[in-house]
Amino acid sequence: MSKKKRTKKIKYRDIELNIMPFIDVFSLLNTFLLMSAVFLSVGILEVQIPFLTSAPPDKKADERVLDIKVDMEKTKVEVTAAYNKPPINEQKREFKVDKADMPNMHKFLVDLRRANPEADKVQLFTEDDVIWKDISMVLDTIKVRAPSDPVVVPAGASELQKKLAAEFLFPKVVMASVILR
Amino acid sequence: MAGVSTDSGDTLSLNLMPMLDIFSILITFLLMSYSTDPVSYDVNNGVELPESITLSTLDEIPTIKVTKTDIIINDKKIAGIVGGDVDEASRSQGAIFPVFQELQKMAEATKRTLAGKMSEIDKARLSTLTMEMDQGHNFKLMKRIMLAAQQAEYITFKLMVARQGE
Repeated sequence: MSKKKRTKKIKYRDIELNIMPFIDVFSLLNTFLLMSAVFLSVGILEVQIPFLTSAPPDKKADERVLDIKVDMEKTKVEVTAAYNKPPINEQKREFKVDKADMPNMHKFLVDLRRANPEADKVQLFTEDDVIWKDISMVLDTIKVRAPSDPVVVPAGASELQKKLAAEFLFPKVVMASVILR
Repeated sequence: MAGVSTDSGDTLSLNLMPMLDIFSILITFLLMSYSTDPVSYDVNNGVELPESITLSTLDEIPTIKVTKTDIIINDKKIAGIVGGDVDEASRSQGAIFPVFQELQKMAEATKRTLAGKMSEIDKARLSTLTMEMDQGHNFKLMKRIMLAAQQAEYITFKLMVARQGE
């Protein structure tokens, strides 16, 4: 009997992968995500308005503190920093209300905060004809701490103050123009 | 590959791969843009919010909505806006009287509900209002609303903005 060289024949079979459950899951996931999708992320800018109170005056009233005022008009913003007691050491700078000049204003405010860690409040005075879009741009410049900005924590700060200092350059902004006529 | 048989016995196969590709891309995009903010809120159609770089997220549904034409408090139209301001009859000492009335009612109702069991956080929340305002309105209108709110003992405002780069 002659030896025959046996060759193994590999049998290929068509195997169909059932992808229907996969498509079902994808469709449901798609529907859920599309329904719950929020395409505009909303944030907030917190401000305060002046108010009358019968509470006793602050103990710090006698201290020499830095008052920072921002006067906003339609086309320009003026930042004034002055101490409430002599020597007043007034510093005044003017900026344009546009995106190009806002970093300069922010830098000036960062320098002020760095030199005066206790000053965490800014009073914003706004003219009636300034639009909310521009006000929000100036509020961003005053309030929001950029990643490259230093975290300025006043001496003896509480946990809350430390948390606020990490997020904001000036945590308190008072819309000082809101007063009864 | 899915297929169907015709009356003549032929099999037509449907290539589902392109559809799967599209689904995968869509799901990846949607998962990436999925918001984990504490409050999910759809901005009013009549309001265009200004852009901001703030990191603070919205934590409650706005009470006051100032669209291009109306002032709405808790989904109730309080006053109309014409030419960027409210009509003269609604004004009082620089504020908007109907807004003051509505906010005062709201403040009293909240105080009644929380009477006697208010924590410091509740008190702070009582004096806070969230406001959604169209970016084109001027400060004059904003001031009128804030003055009305101030008279109703609301002194802190959370002003809604659209966060950039999100």
